[in-house]
Amino acid sequence: MATKGAIRPGRWRQSGGKTAWIPYLFLAAPLALFLMWVIGPMIYSFYLSLTNWDGVSAPAFIGLRNYVRLFDDKIFWIAIGNNAKWVISFITLPVVIGLALAMVLNRDIPGAKAIKSAFYSPYIIAPVVIGLIWGWMYQPATGLFNSVLNAVGVEKTPGWLSDPRLATWCIIAAAIWRQVGYVMTLYLAGLQGVDPSLIDASQVDGCNFWQTFRNVILPLLSPVTVVVVVISIIDSLRSFDLVFVMTRGGPANSSSVLANMMYIEAFNNYKMGYGAAIAVVLFLITAVFIFIYLWQTLRTELEY
Amino acid sequence: MQSKWYRVLNVLAVFVMVAMLAACAAPTPQVVEKVVTQVVEKEKVVEKPVEVEKVVTQVVEKQVEVQVPAAPVTTMVYNSYQSDPAPRAADEETVKMFMEKYPNIKVVHSTVAHEDFKQAIRAYLTSSQPPDVMTWFAGNRARFFIDKGQILDISDVWANEGWNESYPKGFQALSTVNGKQYFVPTSYYWWAVYYNKKVFEKYNLTPPETWEDFLKVCETLKSNGVTPIVSGTKNAWPAAAWFDYLNMRVNGPEFHINLMLGTEKYDDPRVKKAFEYWAELLDNGYFIENAASYDWQDVLPFMLQEKAAMYLMGQFVMDSIPEENKADYDFFRFPIIDPAVPIGEDAPTDGYFAAANAPHPEAAKQFLAFLGSKEVQTYVAEELKRLPTNTEVDTSSFPEASKKGMELLAGADYIAQFFDRDTTPEMAEKGMAAFQAFWNDTTQIDTILADLEKERALIFAAE
Amino acid sequence: MTDRQKSLLGRWAVYIFIYALTLLWLVPVLTALITSLRTNNDILTRGFWSLPNVLTLKNFGEAWTRGGLTHYLPNSFIITLPSLVLTLLFSSLAGYALSRFRFRGDRLILFIFVAGMMLPFQILLLPVFRLVNALGLYNTYWALIIFHTAFQMGFCTFVLRNYMRTIPGEILEAARMDGCSEFRIYRQIMMPLTLPALAALATLEFTWIFNDFLWALILVQNDKLKPVTTGLAALRGQYVMDWTVIISGSLIATLPTVLVFLFLQRYFIAGLTLGATKG
Repeated sequence: MATKGAIRPGRWRQSGGKTAWIPYLFLAAPLALFLMWVIGPMIYSFYLSLTNWDGVSAPAFIGLRNYVRLFDDKIFWIAIGNNAKWVISFITLPVVIGLALAMVLNRDIPGAKAIKSAFYSPYIIAPVVIGLIWGWMYQPATGLFNSVLNAVGVEKTPGWLSDPRLATWCIIAAAIWRQVGYVMTLYLAGLQGVDPSLIDASQVDGCNFWQTFRNVILPLLSPVTVVVVVISIIDSLRSFDLVFVMTRGGPANSSSVLANMMYIEAFNNYKMGYGAAIAVVLFLITAVFIFIYLWQTLRTELEY
Repeated sequence: MQSKWYRVLNVLAVFVMVAMLAACAAPTPQVVEKVVTQVVEKEKVVEKPVEVEKVVTQVVEKQVEVQVPAAPVTTMVYNSYQSDPAPRAADEETVKMFMEKYPNIKVVHSTVAHEDFKQAIRAYLTSSQPPDVMTWFAGNRARFFIDKGQILDISDVWANEGWNESYPKGFQALSTVNGKQYFVPTSYYWWAVYYNKKVFEKYNLTPPETWEDFLKVCETLKSNGVTPIVSGTKNAWPAAAWFDYLNMRVNGPEFHINLMLGTEKYDDPRVKKAFEYWAELLDNGYFIENAASYDWQDVLPFMLQEKAAMYLMGQFVMDSIPEENKADYDFFRFPIIDPAVPIGEDAPTDGYFAAANAPHPEAAKQFLAFLGSKEVQTYVAEELKRLPTNTEVDTSSFPEASKKGMELLAGADYIAQFFDRDTTPEMAEKGMAAFQAFWNDTTQIDTILADLEKERALIFAAE
Repeated sequence: MTDRQKSLLGRWAVYIFIYALTLLWLVPVLTALITSLRTNNDILTRGFWSLPNVLTLKNFGEAWTRGGLTHYLPNSFIITLPSLVLTLLFSSLAGYALSRFRFRGDRLILFIFVAGMMLPFQILLLPVFRLVNALGLYNTYWALIIFHTAFQMGFCTFVLRNYMRTIPGEILEAARMDGCSEFRIYRQIMMPLTLPALAALATLEFTWIFNDFLWALILVQNDKLKPVTTGLAALRGQYVMDWTVIISGSLIATLPTVLVFLFLQRYFIAGLTLGATKG
């Protein structure tokens, strides 16, 4: 029976001798491509953050001035606050709902295929359409939500996207609606790797559903959970398209997030250098979270 | 199990191979196309234009073995942001007309969504293969690229076409930088307060000319349960229109333009005064509630359903009004606040320019000359109901609305290009956010203006 | 009630809850579908949530022609399919190395792949644009294919590495003792066992690459090469938005992704891989 928290990935190949270079061989092409097309441009944009490049003329080095200006910028702090809301929302709700759905839909429930497609469908619809439809649901005068609220007798209905205090949460709701299908898909794949004989064994031992779930299934799913949590953090910090389409960061920048701010500064205001600085800050924030989390999980992995 | 996997892989492999073949094969059709153009050219001398199309289809099927042609064919690229249906159709027709007139130039025309074009153009102008001709805005927006030497000098086109005589001085000024012309302005439109005539008739109202009359109209409408003014400020720029007009009416166009150029300050008491008039409208509830949740088009249903009356908007608003309702709408000049102040109006101007390192500059210049000519401007003006910049165009047969619009602008002392074109994009971004913040809470005006002034100082200090 | 009846009731309660949730979840999607069948004037004059007066298929036709879909759809496939296959290929190679071997720099390399995911990709737009121009790839399919392949490798490598770690090592050890080369082990043992993850990734990657818009906008200027997303974007006017046509166009563009999902989902269903993992 599997012990709590442990998975057995099989023995590692020890380095040494002829076989030492095999992993490098496998990695050569992918890594080269990745370094040239992703890491390279990434480092270049780090360099750009130290310039005043406008995307058109030659960049001029200005040191850390962009960063100084950034920390003084009101919008920057609003955006960081909003990104925090996104992160907290993304690592809780979609993960729980997605996992629950995957668990339920993994059996032969009638109509499972249709339901899976239904939950995945928000993910394939273009953000502009999602922004449009949800925008119409949120419309104060004639939108779906307020019409329903009016019907049950609520007098003063919220302004939703036009209310600076609610706008971000409204967008996050739409984003979670979209994200659940994505998480569900990853967990469905992960559940295929869970050997049913282990589940049977634990039930034979007298565990009820919750005990089986907590002590057998969840640990076996931990590689998927690692991916899901990492992706949720990264995506919530990188969120852009729904914000841009639904409010463009408004009203008055109240729903702005870092990626949105970066886009407007770089592409609307022609301040590529400043935009790059925002991207670097975003990267550093994400890196701190991810590296700490990954370091922990990698450490436990290697302890056999 | 293994076989299933192999099947999937095989299917995918087939797809990939087909795709790769297609990718490699993509250039080939171009060869056939060019050949077609040759043959067409020879035929044209004899046949009527209509016949040309038949010839084209036949040639393609035959996989022609034609010899090297006599006259060279230039393929020119024209990218446009005119993605609205009517301007786009007019665009395509214009391109067709040009290719008929100059059969040895083929124009590859593509339309990019308006907002996206604004990002893409910087990539175009700095790439190794820019498009030859592009649509763009007159004024500061064009200057941004002209100052960086990315735009083709077309002073020779202006001279050859005689545009220095046939275009009004204002438009010439918009296209000239350091004595040379780089831009062809071809159309412009007016802004005004559009209103639903039926609603006005219902309450016995007439279009107000002074601010006091305007307030009275608003009060009457409001007391009868009609929303006096609508605006969809989700994308901020409709709010900027209110700032433009109030500032120009209260403080005059000269102050307004200086503010746009960064030589006046946002915390100047004169600016605050303009906002006070705006606050009057907001605090009295004359604007639609929750304006920030609506896109500019989303508020039109309120007017169509006669639940609202007025909208400060550009002439293009009529394009969104259904055909059967168009007759119910008219417009009036933004009310005068101080009769002693010169009148400023917003009339954004659009046009074309060519990339400095365009692959085919000669063809580009011919195309630009064509676009600015009397024939094309007449056609476009008729199709789109916008105003032509070329004074040689005969305007006597224009619809009533256009004539009224021209009168409105003729009666102005100064023409501005609109907030987000008159000032730098960054300042416009900050300004419009400030307008949204003010709209949300008018009591914050002092903080808002102080912050905005800080931004202005930073932005224009860097210039 | 007997225990068995209770558990049956409990199960059906869950099922009904799921069905209800699904319907609620679909409201925005169904709204999009219904809107695509209405006319813009209808929405403008009577409001968006009104019951439709007229239902028409006209919007799809208009989206098809005005969006130039016959012209752009093949391009989308030409760009998406090779990118998808190549990125899965490269990522599985990298994932295999990172999941089954210990070597100098293995953690660093994993971090590199993860780091590549952490930047808002828009900031890479202009640096990659410059790179593409410098390499003379501007305005070609290859610019997009190579970039998408490279960029998606971060996510795919990470997922595959994690998934491959769940494959019990005994099978691989057995094959090694039989004298199989690592590459054969990768190809004939590891890959089939990774099928669920590959299928899930293929679905997601198809969705992302097919729906990409910004990269196509910046790296390709020639109209002949542009994918469906740019064609649809051009339906958005400077002033006028014909929402019904835009939604119809977007729905047409999602059809391939839906088909891919339906086709691939049987591969992340139980039963396929369990035979191999008998302990």
